[in-house]
Amino acid sequence: MLVPQFTVAENVVLGSKPSWDMNLRRGDIENDVRAVGEKFGIRIDPGQRVATLPIDVQQRVEILKLLYRGATTLILDEPTAALGPAEIEQLFVSLRDLSASGHSVVIITHKLSEVMAIADRVTVLRQGKVVKVAARGSFNAEDLAVAMVGHAIREVTSTPRGSDDEGATLDVRELVVTGDKGHVAVDRVSFGVRAGEIVGVAGVEGNGQVELAQALSGLRRPAAGSLVIGGRDMTSADPRTLHRNGVSIITEDRLRWDLIPDLTVAENLALSSVASGGYARAGLLRRRAMRGAAERLMDEYGIQPPIPLLPAGSLSGGNQQKLVLARELSRNPRVLVVAQPTRGLDVAASEFVHRRLLQLREENCAILLFSLDLAELLALSDRIIVLYRGRIAHQGDVRDLTTTDVARAMAGMSGAA
Amino acid sequence: MSVTDEVQPRAALRQPSRWELPFGSIATSIASLLAALVLTGIVILVLGANPIQAYGAILSGALGNPYNTGLTLMVATPLILTGLAAAIPFSARVWNIGGEGQLYAGAIASVLVALTFTGLGAVPLTILSIACGILAGGFWGAIGGALRVFAGANEVIVTLMLNFVALTVADYVITGPWAQNISPQTRNIPKGVTLPTIWPHTAVDLGLILAVIAAGIVFVLMRRTPLGLAIRACGFNPDAARLAGFSLGSIIMTAFAIGGACAGLAGAILVIGVNRALVPDISANYGYIGIAVALIAGLRPLWILPGALLFAIITVGGNNLTASSNISTSVSLIIEAIFVIFLLAFRVIRLQEATS
Repeated sequence: MLVPQFTVAENVVLGSKPSWDMNLRRGDIENDVRAVGEKFGIRIDPGQRVATLPIDVQQRVEILKLLYRGATTLILDEPTAALGPAEIEQLFVSLRDLSASGHSVVIITHKLSEVMAIADRVTVLRQGKVVKVAARGSFNAEDLAVAMVGHAIREVTSTPRGSDDEGATLDVRELVVTGDKGHVAVDRVSFGVRAGEIVGVAGVEGNGQVELAQALSGLRRPAAGSLVIGGRDMTSADPRTLHRNGVSIITEDRLRWDLIPDLTVAENLALSSVASGGYARAGLLRRRAMRGAAERLMDEYGIQPPIPLLPAGSLSGGNQQKLVLARELSRNPRVLVVAQPTRGLDVAASEFVHRRLLQLREENCAILLFSLDLAELLALSDRIIVLYRGRIAHQGDVRDLTTTDVARAMAGMSGAA
Repeated sequence: MSVTDEVQPRAALRQPSRWELPFGSIATSIASLLAALVLTGIVILVLGANPIQAYGAILSGALGNPYNTGLTLMVATPLILTGLAAAIPFSARVWNIGGEGQLYAGAIASVLVALTFTGLGAVPLTILSIACGILAGGFWGAIGGALRVFAGANEVIVTLMLNFVALTVADYVITGPWAQNISPQTRNIPKGVTLPTIWPHTAVDLGLILAVIAAGIVFVLMRRTPLGLAIRACGFNPDAARLAGFSLGSIIMTAFAIGGACAGLAGAILVIGVNRALVPDISANYGYIGIAVALIAGLRPLWILPGALLFAIITVGGNNLTASSNISTSVSLIIEAIFVIFLLAFRVIRLQEATS
């Protein structure tokens, strides 16, 4: 946890000195922090305010904070959740340096690629039990995946269909969206998503995906351009109107936008129905019907523990995600805008989510999928568009795309084939 | 040495504030009350009296005989309603400081109706008068909500200012065409327009029953209706409520209107049941004390009943302090104030525990 208003040095020193120490000099602590940073090869300007730093640098500040206190063991819980590929690589370099200099690093992650990239030893937990312990060289990705889910995974892969923007259910034309800081975050973007098609949006985090998704969700008014859904202009529609027109939204930040952690699971599942007048009789909530529907959905989506009256905030991240999916998919939406659907989920839960999305595609829903996980995009999408600095840097049928093409476009290298 | 730290700056920075959790538990309220009693006890010692005796005096002053108990229940009645007036908008996480003004709006409307439509029978006129008091309170609350929703005004300031507007209107009504011209008040309402006494030889009238029914209705509203779910959703997480398709503006307006209606009922009861006219200071700050009542009840409608009773006991019993312990009646105000301060302090501690 960092205090965004404080400088790097202030954050690092915070709590490590007695609070009656009146002799803290800004220059001194900055020098201290700089020295520790140099020692461990973490070079950050200690005078910078944390709020102005990108996420990956903030993360290094967290690590620096631990090292400053003389920590010899670092435990990192999903450290790459918010990072792009290049940032992850940089983090791994720092971590390798630390382990080389005698520190112990424990990483809790669900991404096999990361384990393969960095782990000297791996422990696999399944349902609270250790199911596998192995040292580098004696495990491979397949082994670990099997250990994690308990059975071999059938890679979910869609059979892509060639398509173009003709007759698109979701049609975006020359859309311009401004970001929080007033900059142009989405710059004259045009694309379409047809019924029964998944269009993937690739890109390194912070290239306009969030702003685009919010514009499509009615949470951010586009500055220019048009958004047409099912033949009707929805450019400035509010979430309520979109909702009534069969648009389902799953955001990347489920605790902020999708769920109300203090309400029960049943209430969360019924939320959008209640908003459009469902579950009401004579002015009262049909609570038994709500609970019954919740029980059915929880069973269908395997939400654990299967208790509808639990606060949604008490569920694990994966189960919260399933809850959001259950609510939005059970509406049989015409259009689904979904961001990072498997972030923070384990292999089995991710596979479940993928299956559901493909099933929804079979049911003729137009799906726009935002993901930072390239493998996920390649496995699910019919077409992929790559956002770079708010513009479409590259797009194409997934069958004609190679990972290299997409990666080059994501990195802003022009001339991708 | 093991250092555990969640290295997820983004998630960490975005962590929702614990203010979104339900207001403190009842245990917190009880602990705050005990702490307030201890601290006020020290103040009483300094004033040269025996705290135990003083608290005994408060209790006997409030509940010592049927007449005093009746008086306490009479004071509790408007506090229940103003407590609800604060709690409903608070549940939607908008702040209604305007209970006092909404109470006055209800009082003004009910007295004007009772003085104007004298041709009606007594019972229909009573019902009409109360109904208009409720509507006027709701309207006054909705003005605050509308200014918040449509003009983006800060509802705390707007509702507070509307209190002064309502007070000024009340002054006009008292001194204007409806004035009694003997003492500063309006003419008395017709004899038959009244709330029957439900406990003989005390001041307890039907108003208490109405207030308790109102608390029950608000409980059902908040827990068992789509509107209640919408209000709670809006209070816990307005972003998610908006994305789910709720219209936050109309939820906030409705919450203010219903809260105002409760306060308006309090005003009508004070006119019809207690004072028989609109008098200056018809509300002994009931609108403001109601905010404290809502807080100690953790915004739970049914807990507002004991909460209001508690404040009524302290207020009514405090009047007995001078006679029995020779200390100022304002000691009861000290208890109330310290109580609320402790309540807020304990909540901050809980907040820190919850986020550490």
